[in-house]
Amino acid sequence: MSKSAEELYEALADAVVDMDEDLVADLAKEAVAAGVDALAAIDQGLARGMERAGKLFEEEEYFVPELLMCSDAVNTGIDILKPHIKMDAAAEKHKVVVGVIEGDTHDIGKNLVKVMLNSANFDVIDAGRDVPPAVFVDTAIQEGASVIMIAALMTTTMDKIGDTIQLIKERGLAGKLRVVIGGAPISPAFAKKVEADAYSVNANAAVRIAREMLSC
Amino acid sequence: MPEVYFQQQEQRVVVPSGTTILAAARRAGIIVESPCDGIGTCGKCMVRLVDAAPEHYHCEEAHYQLSTDQLAKSMVLACHTQVLGDLTVLVADTEKQNRSLKIVSGGVGFEYPLDPWITKQFAAGRTKVLAGDQFVGEEDGDTTEKLYGLAMDIGTTTLVAALIDLRSGKELASLSALNPQSLHAQDVITRIHMASKPEGLKLLHDAICDAFNHMIGELCQATRVAAEHIYEVIYSGNTTMLHLACNVNPELLGQFPYTTVMKGGNTLPAGELMISPFGDIYLPPIISAYVGPDITSGVLAGQLEKKPGTTLFIDIGTNGEMILAQDGRLAGTSTAAGPAFEGMNITCGMRAGDGALEFYQIEEDGSTKTHVLGDGEAVGICGSGLLDIIGELVRVGIIGKTGRLIPPAKGKYPDALKASMKEKDGKPVFYVTKNVYITQADIRQVQLAKGAVRAGVEMLMAALGVAPEKVDCVQIAGSFGYHLQESSLLNQGMLPAAFRGKVEFVGNTSQLGARAFLTNWGTRSYMAGLVKNIRDVELSQDPKFQDVFVRALGF
Repeated sequence: MSKSAEELYEALADAVVDMDEDLVADLAKEAVAAGVDALAAIDQGLARGMERAGKLFEEEEYFVPELLMCSDAVNTGIDILKPHIKMDAAAEKHKVVVGVIEGDTHDIGKNLVKVMLNSANFDVIDAGRDVPPAVFVDTAIQEGASVIMIAALMTTTMDKIGDTIQLIKERGLAGKLRVVIGGAPISPAFAKKVEADAYSVNANAAVRIAREMLSC
Repeated sequence: MPEVYFQQQEQRVVVPSGTTILAAARRAGIIVESPCDGIGTCGKCMVRLVDAAPEHYHCEEAHYQLSTDQLAKSMVLACHTQVLGDLTVLVADTEKQNRSLKIVSGGVGFEYPLDPWITKQFAAGRTKVLAGDQFVGEEDGDTTEKLYGLAMDIGTTTLVAALIDLRSGKELASLSALNPQSLHAQDVITRIHMASKPEGLKLLHDAICDAFNHMIGELCQATRVAAEHIYEVIYSGNTTMLHLACNVNPELLGQFPYTTVMKGGNTLPAGELMISPFGDIYLPPIISAYVGPDITSGVLAGQLEKKPGTTLFIDIGTNGEMILAQDGRLAGTSTAAGPAFEGMNITCGMRAGDGALEFYQIEEDGSTKTHVLGDGEAVGICGSGLLDIIGELVRVGIIGKTGRLIPPAKGKYPDALKASMKEKDGKPVFYVTKNVYITQADIRQVQLAKGAVRAGVEMLMAALGVAPEKVDCVQIAGSFGYHLQESSLLNQGMLPAAFRGKVEFVGNTSQLGARAFLTNWGTRSYMAGLVKNIRDVELSQDPKFQDVFVRALGF
C-alpha cells in the first residue's frame, strides 16, 4: 500500500535521523512518483529529520560524524527532490553568510554550521576562512544577506570579530546586518562585549538563531 | 571604591567598581588559577564568596555553567564576576597542590663526545672563560674545575632543569616545577593572546624568569655549586615558550600564516638569569611555529635521522607535534589536540598532582584497578588516567563505536560495571571511582583530541607515502607520554592498530636533547643544517584534513 504524504514526510525524517542515505533516496523517489509536493517533502521531511539530528547532537547523543552522515542523507534527498519543486512554490531562500575570522584557518566548526543551515534549507554563502572584516561585510552586501555568522577557534583571533561589528556600525549598517558568533573560545559574555547580535553555542543553535532572526 | 578581602591569604585590595575578582586577585598578587585566561570556558577560577551582599557583585553569563550545588555554596567564577561593593573571597591555596606535581625527567639517551661550548683556561693566576673560541670573561684564581651548565626544558605545563657538570657531562641534580605561566593561561594559544599585549608579555616573561632563578637557586643549594659558575643555559621548549622566555612578542604565532619571529640556533646574553655575568643562553633551531625546538631536541636525542627504517616520533600534549623519519628523510607536523589531555574541559579533569587518577584498568570479572597520585582517594583525573579510562571503556564496550555511553540495558559489558553507570542531572555518567566520573561531554572532548592526533599521524604518513604497517617504531615523548600505556592509545584509535607492539615511551627527549646541545657544541651546527631539511607538513592547508579528522573521531 502506498504511503500518504504525511507518512512519507515522517519516513524521510526517520531515515535522515537513522543516517540511512539509501532509504532517503528510495523515499524521495517514491515521493516524486506519488506526486507529493517536493518542497514540502524537503521542509517537512528532510529538514525536520535534520532538526531532530541536531537536537540529538545538542543532547550529546550524536557527534560530528553522525551529524555529517545525516546531512549527507539530506543532500541526497534534496538532489532527487529539487528538480520537482514547482517554480511558483520555490520562494526565495533566506541567505546567510558564514566564515572563519581573519587569522584563523580552523574551519571544521564553520563547515558544520554550513551543513546544518543547508540542511535547514537556507542559502549559505561560504566566505571561507581567514576572512577579513571588510570581506564579511562586502560579501553580505553583494549577496543581499542580512545575517553573518562568524567563527573563531583561537583566542588570538577572536578580537577581530569585534572589528567586524565596528565596521558594520561605521558603514551605517547596524540593524540591517546582524552578526552571530561562535567557536570554542567565544562566550556569551564576549558576544555581549563586542555587541554581537547573538551567540551560538553550537551548529544546531545557529539554525535556531537564523530562523528567529529571519522569521522563517 | 570597593575593597576585596582575600581571606585565606589575608590580603586586601581596593579596585574600581566593575573590576572582576580575577583582576582584583592579580592586582593583589594572589594567584587564582585561570587556565583559560578569563574567557569563561574552563571553570577552574571558581572561588567562594563569604556572606556577600547580592548588590556587591554581578555574575556575567559564561560558557562554563556552575552546578546548582556550587551556586548554593556561593561559588562564582572569578573571571566573570564583577566587584560592585566590598567582598570577602575564599581562594584555595594553589601552592601546596603545585608542589606535588608529578613529572618524570628520565629517558633514553645517546652517546656523544664531551665538547662543551663553554671552556676555561688557567694562566698567570687568572682563569679565562671562552665561549666557542671567543674570550668572554676572566675570573681570579684557578676556577677551571668549576664549570657548569643548565639544560632547561620549558614545557607548557612543566619546567625541568638539570644542572650539568660540563667537565664530565654528568647530571648533578635535576628539578621540576610547574610553569607559573599556566596559572594565568593554560594553553599555548591563550598565552599567545595574553602576551600579544605588553603587560601580558611582561607578566608571563617575569613569571618564567622568576621560576628559572628560583630553580637555579634550589639546584645550587642542593649541589653546593655557586651560581656564578653556571655559564650556559639551554632553552628547549615549544616555539611559543621560547618567545615568551626571551621576552619576544609571540603575536604572529597566533595568526595565519603562523610565522615565527625567532629562528633559534643562536646564543643570547643570559641577562636576567642569576648565573655567571659572562653566561649565555642557547636556543636550539626552530622547525616551525608549531614544531618547536623541543622537537629539534627530540630529533637529536633520538638520532631520528640516523635510524634505518621508518620511525614515528610523537609528543602528545595540547599540540600533538610529530616527526616521521624514513631512512634519513624527515617530515614534521603538529595538530591542535586541545587541552583535554591536560585535564582541561573535562568535568573531573586535573593536572598530575595529588589525588589525580593516573592509571585505570578493567579486569575480566569487571573489577577495576586504579592508581592515584599521592595518598588518599582520587579527586580527579589527569591526562594519562583519562586516556586509560577511555581506552578501557572502549575495549569492554561501555563506550560504543560512535563514542556514546552504552546504557546497561543494551550493553554487553560485565554486570559488575553496570552499577557504575549512573545518571547525573538527567544525563548518563560512568563512575570510575566513588567520586570521580566521566560524562558524555568528556568523551566528546577526548574524541576531538585523539582524532586530531590520529589525523595528524595519517596525514603525515600520507605525505611521505608510508603505510601504517611499514612503520617500524613509534616513539612517544614528553613527560605526559611517559605515564601512558600502548593499549590505551591503540584501543581508542589514537594510533593505528598496526602499531601494536611497536610503541615505546621515550620520556622527556626535549630535556635529553638540551643536555646534548649543552655538552657537545658540534650538535648545534649539525642540527641547524638538519632542521632546514625537515619538511613542514601544514595540515590546515590540506582540504583532505577534515575528512581524515572526522573519520578519526570514532572508536
